[in-house]
Amino acid sequence: MPTDTSQAPRPPQSGPPAAGGVIHDLGYRRYDGPRLGRSGIVAALAWHSFRSAFGFGRGAKAKIIPAIAFIAICLPAAVNAFAMSRGNQQLVYYDTYSPVLRDLVMTVFVAVQAPELVSRDLRSRVLPLYFSRPIKPGDYPLAKYLGFTAACLVMLEVPLLLLWAGAAANVHGGAAVWAQTRALIPGLLVGLMWAVSLAAIGLFLASLTGRRAFATGAVAITFLLTYTLAEILLQVETQSAIDKGGVGPGGVPAASLAEKVSGLFSPFTLFNGVRMWLGGTNPADNVPKPGAFGAVYALVLIVLVGLCLAGLAARYRKARLS
Amino acid sequence: MTTIELRNVSRWYGNVVAVNDITMDIGPGVTGLLGPNGAGKSTILHMMAGFLEPSKGTLAVDGAPTWKNPEIYRKLGLVPERDSVYAFLSGEEFVTATAKLHKLAEPERSARWAIGITEMSEARDRKISTYSKGMRQRIKVAAALVHDPQILLLDEPFNGMDPRQRMHMMDLLSRLGDEGRTILFSSHILEEVERLSGTIQVMVAGRLAASGDFRAIRRLMTSRPHVFHVKTSDDRRLAAALVGRDYTHAVELTSKGLQVRTSDFGAFCAQIAVITRDENIRLTELLPTDESLESVFGYLIAN
Amino acid sequence: MFNPTVAAITARATLGRRRAILFAVPAVILIALTLILRASHPAGAQWPDTVLGDFGFSVLLPFTALIIGTGVLGAEIDDGSVIHLLATPVRRADVIVTKFAVAAGLTALFAAVPELIAGELAPNSGKLAWALFVGALVGSVVYSALFLLASVVTTRAIAFGLLYVAIWEGLLSNLVGGVRILSIAHYSLGVANAIYPDQNLRAGLSLSTSLVLAIVITVGGLYLAARRLATFSLAGDPA
Repeated sequence: MPTDTSQAPRPPQSGPPAAGGVIHDLGYRRYDGPRLGRSGIVAALAWHSFRSAFGFGRGAKAKIIPAIAFIAICLPAAVNAFAMSRGNQQLVYYDTYSPVLRDLVMTVFVAVQAPELVSRDLRSRVLPLYFSRPIKPGDYPLAKYLGFTAACLVMLEVPLLLLWAGAAANVHGGAAVWAQTRALIPGLLVGLMWAVSLAAIGLFLASLTGRRAFATGAVAITFLLTYTLAEILLQVETQSAIDKGGVGPGGVPAASLAEKVSGLFSPFTLFNGVRMWLGGTNPADNVPKPGAFGAVYALVLIVLVGLCLAGLAARYRKARLS
Repeated sequence: MTTIELRNVSRWYGNVVAVNDITMDIGPGVTGLLGPNGAGKSTILHMMAGFLEPSKGTLAVDGAPTWKNPEIYRKLGLVPERDSVYAFLSGEEFVTATAKLHKLAEPERSARWAIGITEMSEARDRKISTYSKGMRQRIKVAAALVHDPQILLLDEPFNGMDPRQRMHMMDLLSRLGDEGRTILFSSHILEEVERLSGTIQVMVAGRLAASGDFRAIRRLMTSRPHVFHVKTSDDRRLAAALVGRDYTHAVELTSKGLQVRTSDFGAFCAQIAVITRDENIRLTELLPTDESLESVFGYLIAN
Repeated sequence: MFNPTVAAITARATLGRRRAILFAVPAVILIALTLILRASHPAGAQWPDTVLGDFGFSVLLPFTALIIGTGVLGAEIDDGSVIHLLATPVRRADVIVTKFAVAAGLTALFAAVPELIAGELAPNSGKLAWALFVGALVGSVVYSALFLLASVVTTRAIAFGLLYVAIWEGLLSNLVGGVRILSIAHYSLGVANAIYPDQNLRAGLSLSTSLVLAIVITVGGLYLAARRLATFSLAGDPA
């Protein structure tokens, strides 16, 4: 439609324009209302990242893998509820849940979804758009980290809550329900440890590249390689400890130092080491009881997460175009 | 002589119609496909190049369909818009490989020739990842020309080129068109199309708005009055001078300046400076009020 | 059928990128690990099975195949450079067959060969090494066909491939018996087990079942991939 600017309100002119240039008044209105500050921006970005981690905000195809992962990780809770309703004992515990399944599902979830959060922005070169808003350079990775940690929390804690609900429905008596609740709390804390750490490692690795496929491969290989390596070392050391004939009280071979060190090489075994050091009783991932050595596990985990977060922040310190 | 024939071609994605019942013939020479962004130019080009299936209608090159027909590429070359080439190859390796894929008898020689006419000979040994955007466009054109195709389709070929590169590319395409090839390129910039092509096809919102000789279409458009907003040191005297001219439809004196309706856009533009100089009037402002491409297209659609 | 030009470009593209680290490093780690363990625990009879089986077969083979298989065509489709390949009279089936050959070959080179080397280095594992090598060759071939098909069908091939390897093969096939029929890892194990029966392999399928299914999936996968590539479409206007 031809616009007739002779009838639109013109900005007042004081004297002839210097080089014949004029800014048209196209009806653009200034926004004079309240503006959210930095915290508003970070909150909005974190919420958006949380939604992206499950594929919301994109088409239906993006939701397939998060949906499958979520269903898979909730299955043990459902199976447990079913088994208990038939009168069987509780199969799945809160702090270990279903170890192998949880390891694999979280590996898939982090490997596929972390690149959705960070690699896509790198590839489409929109970072300058984010950083031209009133935020500090560290706010962007912070928001992404908060969003992704929240997503991992959902993946890890909701199954535990379902487990609790299923168990509570099948036990009788307030004391039994209370016992279930008391067992749930440490499980939730373990889940928190998982979420905080996996989000940091996954986002850091994914932020190294703008190609999603490459990032997915890198995260998957890192998690699985380290996990398998730790397992191999553990098995080898356990075997050789048995061969050397070290037997502790109760007829169980005491865990040698080498065995304990083996568990340091993978995030999943680190989680188990810290968990058992803090009082968890069920073994998982073949990690032996660390005893006092568990403090080293905790230290290594904290340092690892810290390094990943520092790396993530450093990645975005300069808002480069790619 | 190779012709691309489209008959009632439509393409839709769910509820969105990208191309709406287009019938046209593209013959030898350079044809420009003109239209604003989102008009469906890329969609049409991809369909012609055999990389998209029409939802309805027929599309044929010399009678043969382009969809699911790899043999068509013996006479067709495509220069896609996306800036994507094998960046780890050198320019010469890329064009030579394309020549081999076309099963040419002498791939190296053909590659040299194609690189030569796109003036990439100096940079041919460097990796494509070191090329500038304009060089990448040219190497893509070289790869599209290496098999000496009768048809060349270019999707927004002048994007990101500096004026010198643009002129060179235009010369090249003109020459190829004069040799009898069928060249079709898309653009949303009027001047590019105007300069290069004799025939244009104008697409707006998926429909074919106009086709034929560019100058004839412009003349059709001149029956529409143009409105200008003029501010000078002496509006009244200018108004008197303009009223006497036959290209002036109407002149209105307003408190904010002169509003001139003219039927001959070109003549008015040429004359206004002369008039103000002769009458000793200082011209402070001259604004066409509806020069945007969209309004031009809008007019074509409405009529 | 096999197109040397396409093969050369594919091989250069796969080996020349940063992505190559993802499949070169695990192979090196396998061999290094074997050497280290051999030096420190020469007498242990258990660890070769774990290293060669759990690491080599369960992690190294499928993941190397995943990275390579989804990359040989997927990377070009992703960045759009496949158009230069397809705007030529090359038959689509030739493209698929050639890329499949390159993928299978590279996977064999980076997963099956290191498996053999590690097997030879590990003590008392000579025959097992060759059995695993042949099994890994079968796995390379079938995985490559499957992941190549995935990369033509979807742009998220590596994500779905990861889901398949980690959840379907890693988890389910060890829990649910019937699933083995659709698990490429089990075809490979079936072949390996037939050459050198070993309890630790936990192979569930017989040789004939494994081979038949391997052939069906490979040929079927390649056929579907070629058909799908013939209808490869570009999106319309970017705006």
